[in-house]
Amino acid sequence: MAQQLSTINLVAPAFKGVNTEDSPIAQDPSFAEIADNAIIDKRGRIASRKGYSVLTTDRSELLNTTPNPDVYEPVRAIAEFRDSGGNTEIFSVGNNKILSGTTTLVDETPSGYSITADNWKIVNFNDRIYMFQRGYEPLVYDNTSGAVEAMSDHTHSNGVVSTMYGNEVLAAYGRLWTADFTTDKSTIYWSDLLNGLHWSGGTSGSIDISKVWPDGYDEIVALAAHNGLLIIFGQHSIVVYQGAETPASMTLADTVAGVGCVDRDTIQHTGTDVLFLSHTGLRSFGRTIQEKSMPISTLSKTITKDLISLIQDENSFYRTVYSPEENFYLLTFVGQSTTYCFDLRGALEDGSLRVTRWPSSVFSAYERLQNGKLYIGSDQGISEYKGYQDNGESFRFKYYSPSLTFGDASKLKFIKKIKPTIIGASGEVASIKFAYDFDKTYRSVAFNVPSAGAGAEFNVAKFNIDEYSGTTQQVVRKALNATGSGSTVVVGLEADIDGNALSLQEINILALVGKTV
Amino acid sequence: MDEFFRDLLGIGAGEALGGAAALGLLGSAYNRLGDIGERGLGLGEELAQRQIEQAGFRPYTVTTATGGQFMAGPEGQYTMALSPEEQAFQQQMFGGAGQFFQQAAMPTGDREAAIYERMRATMSPEEERQRLALEERLAGQGRLGVRTAQFGGAPEQFALAQAQEEARNRAMLGAMQQAQAEQAQQAALGQQYLGAGYVPQAQMLSALAPGQTAAAAQQQAQLYGTGLFGEATASGIDALLGSALGQANLLGAAGTGLLAGLFGRD
Repeated sequence: MAQQLSTINLVAPAFKGVNTEDSPIAQDPSFAEIADNAIIDKRGRIASRKGYSVLTTDRSELLNTTPNPDVYEPVRAIAEFRDSGGNTEIFSVGNNKILSGTTTLVDETPSGYSITADNWKIVNFNDRIYMFQRGYEPLVYDNTSGAVEAMSDHTHSNGVVSTMYGNEVLAAYGRLWTADFTTDKSTIYWSDLLNGLHWSGGTSGSIDISKVWPDGYDEIVALAAHNGLLIIFGQHSIVVYQGAETPASMTLADTVAGVGCVDRDTIQHTGTDVLFLSHTGLRSFGRTIQEKSMPISTLSKTITKDLISLIQDENSFYRTVYSPEENFYLLTFVGQSTTYCFDLRGALEDGSLRVTRWPSSVFSAYERLQNGKLYIGSDQGISEYKGYQDNGESFRFKYYSPSLTFGDASKLKFIKKIKPTIIGASGEVASIKFAYDFDKTYRSVAFNVPSAGAGAEFNVAKFNIDEYSGTTQQVVRKALNATGSGSTVVVGLEADIDGNALSLQEINILALVGKTV
Repeated sequence: MDEFFRDLLGIGAGEALGGAAALGLLGSAYNRLGDIGERGLGLGEELAQRQIEQAGFRPYTVTTATGGQFMAGPEGQYTMALSPEEQAFQQQMFGGAGQFFQQAAMPTGDREAAIYERMRATMSPEEERQRLALEERLAGQGRLGVRTAQFGGAPEQFALAQAQEEARNRAMLGAMQQAQAEQAQQAALGQQYLGAGYVPQAQMLSALAPGQTAAAAQQQAQLYGTGLFGEATASGIDALLGSALGQANLLGAAGTGLLAGLFGRD
């Protein structure tokens, strides 16, 4: 007598993002073991990320001659200059140069100014753009001069001395703030009011917080401003001052011990909160202040060990960006070519964010422009986050479920059919992957996604709404035969994204449940 | 002989002898009158001498109850002598006055500094307490390390430093005023000591008045006695001279009578 097939319906698989912390067989099927080059789309589905479209056509300024001849160095930072007159300019840094432009990168490095590192932080402040890097005299650009110049060369500069050549710069509360100097790791300098060129006189000043660290000693890594607070991130602690609008009289509001910031460039303001990367994962400043140093407050609990491993191995740059348009916070470990995408639309029950991974990431800089566009830096120059190709090439989207037990891990399962429902895509070759009993050798069933339009299976956008503008969204349902057996099953989907978005709506698995093993 | 005198003088010898006797009486009266003048002069001089002696200044001494003495000498000079206690007191007062004047004459700079240091010594502990309190407050607020171009340190540090500096300035001005007041006080004390140093002398001079009154009364009595003595002696002399004058007049009259008798019979 034929046995009845059991059905596992993975609705909106990976809706909760990647989870590498919990036991695979105890996981909620809404998590994913792998979600590469994926995002959580606005309907809560796992979907392919966008690609990047290179804007730069002349990147000769990035061509290294020594010590790596014929190697294009990546863009390490991008910043958009805007002033009250409506003037804009895109600046970037790379190959030990200050560059401007997007299509043709033009060397703007001041004459006689020698640069040997590209770890600049660039901020806009009061119709000027300022560039700070530890041990380097700050650079400044405004539309009046039309050129990047060393700060002390500016006609209005005052008090520019090597002691304030900081690595961190913050434009907040009507001033520039700088910290993290070559030898002094506990002092913060602030400029005169509304004048980032004046570092002496007026209401400029400094504060040495070496006696304030809650653990007795720490080093300033980053600064942030939020709700009238000046947030000073140390490596292992956080110090918060209130009343930073008048820094001479600002007072200590709070300290957090045991939680610090890994890198200056991991801090992003989301409007209502400040996100930063600590040594144990991504954190929210608001929640950290509420919960002090409790480790459960991390936003990345589902990938904690992965992040810690990456942090420990990172020897290059961290780059992050917050995009309200895309509703994500990207965290890139530049030295390890890995980006994590944290979805900010909502949080899981435990407060952590849904996260996906973008491996083999070449992104080395980000800048969200005033108009919402997201610029990306790489060795190709400057790109825009758009489309579904990486500089004209496809990229691999991967989804793998956690180990599925069909409710009883002790019984054999014989997968008979796997029915994925895919939204979008057009003409790509996709593959359903599955493996039993934690085996990493996946069996694969490839299928062609029909081209959108006439070849679409239904040729009807879901709910008659185009999910991605300009592209007709097709719904693709496939029923694919599967073989083999095992007590646990991992199911995945891989597809080369080559110009079209892809969302995984659901995967329906039909299995025959066998004897107990 | 009688004839002779008659021939010669137109008178007889008896008459001549009477005339000679009358001449002798007249000469004796003349001589007596001269002697009376001489004697009157001598008695007058003697009286004057005696009256000078009687009316001469007699030295006297006034001794006060505290032992001071005023001595008027025979030549009119006088000497005042304080008692040993008064002299000691006077020396003490003069010494004190000298010291006070010496101190008043000294520059006030050192004294100002000394007063300022004493004021600072009283102010410094409170200032230190305020400084420590501010330091603790700033430490509690995490602001110990604040350095500003506007205030140097934190505004509170500036305010405290300003207040303390103003207090120092006030203390300095107060020290200057105090030193000047003390200088004036030293001068006043010197004056007082100096005045007090003359008090024994002044008191002795005050005590001298009654003594001088007594001496004056005595002198007045002496002079009165001298006057009486002079008047009485002069009366005696007058009587003596009058009697001598009478005798001389008598002799003269006798001589005149004789002569008149001699020459009046014809």
